[in-house]
Amino acid sequence: MKRVSQATWDFLIVPRRCICGNPLALGDLLPSAFSSTARPSSSSSTIRSLVRPSQKPKARLLHTSTPLSVIPKAQPTQSAKLAALHGRLELPNKYPLTTLGRALIDPTAEPQHHLNNNSLSTVGNVLLGYYASEYLMVTYPRLPYAILKAAMEGYIGHKALAAVGTGWGVEAAFAPGTTVDPGLLQFNRLAPGTPWVPPYAGGLGFNPPMRQRKMMPPFEHNPSLEKQMAAEPEAMRRAWAAAARGKQDAIPLEGAMANFVRATVGGVYLHAGGLLATKEFVSAHILSRKLDVDKLFQFEQPTRELSRLCVREGFQQPIARLEKETGRYSRHPVFIVGVYSGEEKLGEGQGGSLPEAKIKAAISALKGWYLYSPVTGVDLPSKTDAEPDAPFSPSFIDVGDVVS
Amino acid sequence: MVVRGLQAVSKAQNGIGAFILQCKRLEFNFCDVGGSSRGMKGFLRTRLATFAKENPQIEIVVAPRPHKHPIIRGTYINNREKVVCVRNLEVLQVLQKAELLRDASGVKLKKINKPVQSLNESVRGIWSPYHAKGDDVYKV
Repeated sequence: MKRVSQATWDFLIVPRRCICGNPLALGDLLPSAFSSTARPSSSSSTIRSLVRPSQKPKARLLHTSTPLSVIPKAQPTQSAKLAALHGRLELPNKYPLTTLGRALIDPTAEPQHHLNNNSLSTVGNVLLGYYASEYLMVTYPRLPYAILKAAMEGYIGHKALAAVGTGWGVEAAFAPGTTVDPGLLQFNRLAPGTPWVPPYAGGLGFNPPMRQRKMMPPFEHNPSLEKQMAAEPEAMRRAWAAAARGKQDAIPLEGAMANFVRATVGGVYLHAGGLLATKEFVSAHILSRKLDVDKLFQFEQPTRELSRLCVREGFQQPIARLEKETGRYSRHPVFIVGVYSGEEKLGEGQGGSLPEAKIKAAISALKGWYLYSPVTGVDLPSKTDAEPDAPFSPSFIDVGDVVS
Repeated sequence: MVVRGLQAVSKAQNGIGAFILQCKRLEFNFCDVGGSSRGMKGFLRTRLATFAKENPQIEIVVAPRPHKHPIIRGTYINNREKVVCVRNLEVLQVLQKAELLRDASGVKLKKINKPVQSLNESVRGIWSPYHAKGDDVYKV
């Protein structure tokens, strides 16, 4: 596998935290920071350990005074592309170019976790999930779980984030390597036709995807499931296994771009002012995009669901009434049907046949219920992140989906 | 499952929230010997540093293009390019051309007839003959 540039790993200047989260002391860094020039022997051992990651490197005790492998500083700061990207996103000066450069290195290009964007993108994914879910839950408190998940996917799924990254003008390197500009996205490309399972499917706050959501004992003989398993291609099975382990050695452009955007958000949190700055960044770049939540619904039995909803809420049973019609016996009849609960009109639909119009009326009534949005005076829970004593008016909490 | 979610991807609305300048790279090409590059070379000497500082969003490349007229080549986020020939232009005229390329969006030029372009649906809705009443039947 091709790797990112190691020629510049000598410039060991920027400190980082060790795996356990303890910040590194300056005294620990200094010997290693100058080791590349002052002590060629220790420097060469560092490079060797970087070049061959399969061998267990001896000097991996990150919070001791042994040579450290840290983020390269020299080359990213010389890249015009990277500086332009920094300027385009209007990131503050506190946000180092080295972090932005590291966000552009996918784990498939550089497996060592402290040189790639894996940890940054994990932080970013958590924050994106937090802000997207609170925004959706407060804006549409009655949204069914399936629609909420679809909307989360629409805002912070890998396709949406890849579109964000492309819109930032990030270009990808043809292949990771030693001569690649640090302002290019580096990742190992997935061969065409190879199945790939996106990590973080469903965004944060949701369970990881499960392949089989069947209610059945796992070890019982089940011919239909066995047939299904046998029909599944071997490559797909391997992709699922790799995704479950969190180790994929190649990734499509979309996935790498999404990881970069997540890592940038993580970097904003770490460097540019914590939760407040992250909230602003996420709402400016990701939640300001347009997503029609009302187009995400697919009902199976809307009339039945509306009837169950009326029973649950104690409304009178819904009745569909024909309001207007034209050309009943012609080639293009039009029926307007309204669905009523007592005197209250819940919804209206138009269709070429009576059942179609009735179903559309039920769908419109259900969407009217599910897409309820408080007009004003409701705060996002993250309002209290910055100032814990701020006055807070909580959102309405719905009892949940209609189950029929 | 009663209701299922469909897949959709959010659409960008540049300027609502964050604004991303669409010009991502400007390449300035000049010739050392040609007289038509005089203004361009003056621009590179006197104005380019300020221009670059004022526009940190743009990656700036300066490259020789021997025995040819000087050009400015803008590359945009939609991966299109816009090239302007700046032969025999004075320093300030070159600066104007650079600003023109900076402010361009990179999309093909086309005539826009509608006063508003929006992803949002009309607030007023579409007129329906079935809902209009009395004298308003034919009013939009």
